Amino acid sequence: MSKHRTHKIIGLRSTALSLLLFLFFILLNNQFGAYNQSQLANIATLLIAVLSITLLTGASGQISLGQGAIMAVGGYSSALLVTRLGFSMWISIILAIFISALFGLFLGLAAARLSGPYLAGTTLVMALAIPSIAVRFETFFSGDVGLSVDYGMPPIWLTNIVGEISIEEWSLYVALPFTAAALFAVLNLLNTRTGRTWRAVRDNEVAAALAGINISRTKIFVFVVASALAGLAGALYGFRGLVAPSVYPTDLSLTLLTAAVIGGLRSIGGAIFGTFAIVFLPDLIERVSANFTIPETIGNYLPGLTIGLLLLLTVITNPRGAAGALEDLRHHRHRKKH
Amino acid sequence: MLAIKNLTTEFASVKALNGISFQAKPGLITTVIGANGAGKSTLLRTISGLEKATSGSIKWFDEELTQMSVESIVRSGIAQVPEGHAVISQLSVAENIELGGLFRKRIARGDLAIATKEVYELFPILYERRNEQAGSLSGGERQMLAISRALVSRPKLLLLDEPSLGLAPLISAQIISIVNGLCRETGLTVLLVEQNANTALAVADHGILLALGEVAADMPASEMAADSALRAAYLGY
Amino acid sequence: MNSFLTAFFSGTAQGAIYALVSLGLVLVWRGAGVVNFAQMGQAMFTTYIASQMIQHNNSYWSAFVVALICGALLGALVDLAIMRPLTSRKNSQLLNSQSMRTTIPVIASLGILGVLKALAGILWAGEERGFPSPVAPNAIKIGSTNLAITGFDLFVIGVVFAALVLTTIFFTKTGMGLAMRASALNPEVTRLSGIRVGSVRTLGWAISGTASSLAGLLVTPRTNLSPNTLDLLLIVGFTAAVVGGLSSLAGSVLGGFILGYVISFVNVYSAPENVFIAILVFLLLALFLRPQGILGSKEVRRV
Repeated sequence: MSKHRTHKIIGLRSTALSLLLFLFFILLNNQFGAYNQSQLANIATLLIAVLSITLLTGASGQISLGQGAIMAVGGYSSALLVTRLGFSMWISIILAIFISALFGLFLGLAAARLSGPYLAGTTLVMALAIPSIAVRFETFFSGDVGLSVDYGMPPIWLTNIVGEISIEEWSLYVALPFTAAALFAVLNLLNTRTGRTWRAVRDNEVAAALAGINISRTKIFVFVVASALAGLAGALYGFRGLVAPSVYPTDLSLTLLTAAVIGGLRSIGGAIFGTFAIVFLPDLIERVSANFTIPETIGNYLPGLTIGLLLLLTVITNPRGAAGALEDLRHHRHRKKH
Repeated sequence: MLAIKNLTTEFASVKALNGISFQAKPGLITTVIGANGAGKSTLLRTISGLEKATSGSIKWFDEELTQMSVESIVRSGIAQVPEGHAVISQLSVAENIELGGLFRKRIARGDLAIATKEVYELFPILYERRNEQAGSLSGGERQMLAISRALVSRPKLLLLDEPSLGLAPLISAQIISIVNGLCRETGLTVLLVEQNANTALAVADHGILLALGEVAADMPASEMAADSALRAAYLGY
Repeated sequence: MNSFLTAFFSGTAQGAIYALVSLGLVLVWRGAGVVNFAQMGQAMFTTYIASQMIQHNNSYWSAFVVALICGALLGALVDLAIMRPLTSRKNSQLLNSQSMRTTIPVIASLGILGVLKALAGILWAGEERGFPSPVAPNAIKIGSTNLAITGFDLFVIGVVFAALVLTTIFFTKTGMGLAMRASALNPEVTRLSGIRVGSVRTLGWAISGTASSLAGLLVTPRTNLSPNTLDLLLIVGFTAAVVGGLSSLAGSVLGGFILGYVISFVNVYSAPENVFIAILVFLLLALFLRPQGILGSKEVRRV
């Protein structure tokens, strides 16, 4: 009975938090101009992929430098379904989630045998190799040119309710329900027995195995869930206009990891903060550097430099990221009071 | 003289050593005996710097060891032979011995050759098998190699952690008697940690009995060997 | 037949470079338990230094030597400034977790890579530039027939061979080499032998930095130089290290040459677009069939 109740409470909390995130984005959207609205849609999309790293690395201790490549799997799946088979966007997104999950199953089968640097290197090789498959099988994947897809027009019934909807807003409206659903799923997974199992595997594999946890099955399962999330993000990311190798470069994988790390690998709030940071930071740097006369050649590299330094600083000063730093601060203050 | 005062070593707030004090006189064998978990190994590892002391002091003549690094402690003449015949099994016998004297290579090349020759004379079997991998040696030979590795550094204080563990009685007796000989001939100070009290007390000059991280008895080895009530209480035999 | 020889010789020369990269990775992995994804970023940076020197009318060979020295210094700096403080903080809650102890240094190395790339872009502009070689990349001629090997290939093979011989002598004949092998195998016994394991580890980072810096100097006459050009080399080097066995220095060199032949033959007999896929397939095959690598030993694999 009590077990049931805790489940219900956790369910309620996740629902509330997901709705809160939904409303927060809508609120921001109403404050923003067109450019920032499209950035907001990017955040809603990338957040799903960053959450996949929170699950994979933060909760279960498996590192992946190839989440961008899995996004490409999701992106190509949905784009091919739409352009070649004439599926609707919604159905293609749902199917892309399943295809990516299936891909994650294969990846997980390989990954369950690997750990640490082996896994990091292998996923990095994957990040490079998968986009090049699109070039290799050009007739099917359209090579470097890529596949053009878009979010289409908002349905009439919606414009009837909320009035005129710009393209930027529509992309956010499509992404946001998925983002909220992904957050709901991740919160529920982490706060239940499943999440505890993952953390046990992360902290000590031998001890977890002795406690009766099937290590391989756990690792594979995490990969399936994380790949489904990344694939979903990749599908949404593609519908911004184009699915091509250049949309899912190796750097995308590293950017996602950076977001998860600077926000805090073990915290959902950290993932949200980190995603905002990596999307808005380049804009912020551009605005600041506009006040100085900086040659363009240098300006192009400032975001990379800042993000790299942030990553290093995070890892050196507080590997638990912004969320960890906040927690320490609160802890510190709490102690002072007593 | 090795003087230990109020030494405490904690692991995650569990006190493995709880304020122990004793002294080991130079040129003699002092043995530390006690049951499993009494803190014997922790004591040696704290002296050699592998574990950091939480409080207290360890003095070797005038040098305070608690703040020194493992490497500096070894270089000041204190060599530890860790538990479990610790040799590097992927290296050859000769390389293991060379390793022990490597830090002296530049300052005392001549003496290093002599020291190497001496340990081969002490343990001729090692000379015969000098080009074989240490992993292929028997347990007793590995223990000999571990002791040789320590001896080529020309230590003044030798810390031996359960040298007879897992060895046949005959071989462990042989090893202990070689150590005993070294001590008597060269004036080497030995701190011998043993679970096998009889073997240790037979050669030692002084005995320390550890129980649950504290010194339970501190007396000449012969007295400790004779005190069957004490042994029955702490060691169960 | 001629295309076979071309593939074979260019595979040998490429493989020699991959062997250096893979050797650099394995040196640091064995010594410090870290796979350094910044390694080729460091090499890119020192190759730029050499390129700048040559542009300012210094000789090729003086630039060559300076780049190698900078490679060593940069390697040591990475260890001293970032990796050592990172791995010595044992009490951090995150680092208590088994998997995180290997993950955090990987993330740190990616941060270093990002910073080095951005710095190189800022300092030397991001566009591609050529990098000279002391030997012309033309086929060697005997009389009027072209041989399948170029002078540049011979140069690369010669330099790498010399570097490998020096490394072998260092590891098997010198005390420092023994200290490095020992501290990689058993740090505790090595410390108890009075050897400063921390300094030995830093030296390993420095040697690895030199090896990868050499690889950068040898590969850029072919690929040109930009902040990103050496990324692929890291991937190939990593695959080579896994194929050969992350725990074995000899294996890493062997893996490098194997990868050189695989890539070269795919290039000649198939198509250059297939190279990435070939690398991925080869890596996965190696991981499934022989996860400890060709020359690696199972118990040493630290995972």
